[in-house]
Amino acid sequence: MKNRYLVGGPITPLLISELWTLGNDDAGAGAVSIFIGKVRDDEVNGRRVTAIEYSAYNEMADKEAEEIVKTVQAAFSDVRKVIIVHSTGIVRAGEASLLIMVTAGHRDHSTRACRHTLEMVKEQLPVWKKEIY
Amino acid sequence: MGNVVRVLYFGAAQELTGKSSEKLNAGDTGSLCRVMLEKYPSMRTLSFRIALNRNLLREESVLMENDEIAILPPLQGG
Repeated sequence: MKNRYLVGGPITPLLISELWTLGNDDAGAGAVSIFIGKVRDDEVNGRRVTAIEYSAYNEMADKEAEEIVKTVQAAFSDVRKVIIVHSTGIVRAGEASLLIMVTAGHRDHSTRACRHTLEMVKEQLPVWKKEIY
Repeated sequence: MGNVVRVLYFGAAQELTGKSSEKLNAGDTGSLCRVMLEKYPSMRTLSFRIALNRNLLREESVLMENDEIAILPPLQGG
């Protein structure tokens, strides 16, 4: 099943730029806020994290992400577009595993809605991780 | 007595059970949890929530034949 909110492997700079250009046809969007979450090389019990393997409940992730988008659009009237992309599979330390992009007429709603979307993703998106050392 | 439901395990639940899915027999979510914890005692150490047909449950629910149950350990996205 194809999931529009999940992508296999890291979120690449190319994907980020492609998604960013999606908003270019909306001349009323004066603000774009982007959050990129990356894998950290944390040290856990003396071992260094080299990558994280993400797994997801794909079908539910689709549904939850759609709900998040609808909730954010309802809560922030100036928001025009909300994009959520999360990695599945292996993402190495330093690579991106989460992208949130919000376009709005003005900066206030784009920045606040981006943060709000991030918190909802952390709470609701059915994704799990396994550290690789 | 009960109905056959499909149980999906995610995250740490998958590691503790050694399975990604299986079919179990239960009439409601309470009895399903009892069956599951008896079968996999190590699951008692895990806190998890349950989704029924892709909807997060907030209370116990009756199960119907072929329902899809997902065992969801604490979410770790981001």
